[in-house]
Amino acid sequence: MSETYDRGSVEDFGRWREFRSGMWAWIFHKFTGWVLVGYLFTHIAVLSTATASDPAVYTDTLHGLENLLVVRVLEVGLLAVAVFHILNGVRLLMVDLGLGLDSQDKSFYASLVVTAAITVASVPTFLAGV
Amino acid sequence: MAEYYSSFERGGVRWLLQRVTAVFLIGVLAFHFFLLHFVNHAADITFAGTQARMSQVGYFATMWLFLVTATFHGVNGVYNALVNQGIDGTAKRAVGAVLTLASIALIAQGTRVALAMTDLL
Repeated sequence: MSETYDRGSVEDFGRWREFRSGMWAWIFHKFTGWVLVGYLFTHIAVLSTATASDPAVYTDTLHGLENLLVVRVLEVGLLAVAVFHILNGVRLLMVDLGLGLDSQDKSFYASLVVTAAITVASVPTFLAGV
Repeated sequence: MAEYYSSFERGGVRWLLQRVTAVFLIGVLAFHFFLLHFVNHAADITFAGTQARMSQVGYFATMWLFLVTATFHGVNGVYNALVNQGIDGTAKRAVGAVLTLASIALIAQGTRVALAMTDLL
């Protein structure tokens, strides 16, 4: 049986100082999840307006978006969000299976470091030709 | 104080499906991003290229399953987040209904778009 304790109210000012790695992992996973589901609906909406009877509309829409620097920067952000959600998701599956529970904080830090490395390494690809 | 904190009911089907879809999405989301940003640069994508990919039955099936599993995983995640915030009763039922309708609409529209990208029909 798990131990219980009074967590207090999350809204209490200053509680963030008490947060440990698992709490930050929870917050980041939730934040990246909201971003990804928001993007999913947006993605289908944009593809819907771009897929017209004239194929040129689709090609022109994508080229038009890709010519905007802000879109390229947002794509880097989307990659960072997706990579963190994937890596932390693997970590959560391990936690669910009871594997490596003693290292759950280290695996969170590893998720952050690998996400940062992949994101930085992807920047030249995303910004090429803009 | 409750004994444990979770937005899921113990032994629930949604708990299992959230994890099963997670495992599938880990691979397919990475594949999707890698194929359309690194193998094919997003700025070079044309309708002809998209149509060639989407007209392969295996690729089409993968992308359609990607749509369905991502919708379930994302919308179920939103529902869990809201339950975690403490909604219950009528609010919980209303949120469940709205999210279910949004999921059905997204999958229906996503399927229409996917079919419009193919020459399968």
